[in-house]
Amino acid sequence: MIVEHGFEGLSMHKLAKAAGVSVATIYIYFRDREDLIQQLYAEEMQKMVEATLRDFNPESHFDEGLKVQWLNRMNYCFENPYSMFFTEQVKHSPLFDRSNIDTRFLHAMHLFVHRAIERNEIIPLPVEIYWSIAFAPLYQLVKFHIAKSSMPGRPPFILDEEKINLTLSLVIKALKP
Amino acid sequence: MKNNPDGQEFILVFRTNINRKKDVKSLSPVLNGCSEIIKWNIDLSDCDNVLRIEATHPDHEPVIHLVKKAGYTCEELTD
Repeated sequence: MIVEHGFEGLSMHKLAKAAGVSVATIYIYFRDREDLIQQLYAEEMQKMVEATLRDFNPESHFDEGLKVQWLNRMNYCFENPYSMFFTEQVKHSPLFDRSNIDTRFLHAMHLFVHRAIERNEIIPLPVEIYWSIAFAPLYQLVKFHIAKSSMPGRPPFILDEEKINLTLSLVIKALKP
Repeated sequence: MKNNPDGQEFILVFRTNINRKKDVKSLSPVLNGCSEIIKWNIDLSDCDNVLRIEATHPDHEPVIHLVKKAGYTCEELTD
């Protein structure tokens, strides 16, 4: 509902109707609309973190670790497209509280990058630039895939293993010393 | 700590016409001064302007009385 109609389109009435419960029931569990959105966000982020860290070893070689990360993140987005769009909406809204980010996730990402820098597998970069090179291309391709369209006049974009490997190799090349 | 020896809490929800921060402010002393109310808030972002109360008793009537006396409409939210 939030993904389709935005936060303003979310009324407790519509939500209660869609969920088949009473408005009063929703207010037993949530203080107000903001509380509901924040709890939903925390829950979605938790699921995303669990999925992202599956079989991921922060001590692994950068190339290998990044591939695990990409596949985990991609599969999570494909299985939960609403979750991806919803968490993005929250991140770009005043409701977003940065202090709620899972420390286990941050710690794993931090360790992974710093070990890779120590072993001279990648160059040190400001984190925003690192993220924009290491992960932003993946999310853009995932969006093309989910939207089933990319550029005007192009056939539907399918993100398969071959395209993942091609992009990943370019990303890794860009981050090498 | 409010006087609530058995620690039981009841959540009461009401539909009101309190839709501005100004009104919430003017109602604050009334609700804060009520010993049976543990916590309260009003959801200004929703169309029902829901007043949500955590109280030591399950009765809606005393709250409705309080809010109406302060000049606002207030009814139990049931649907």
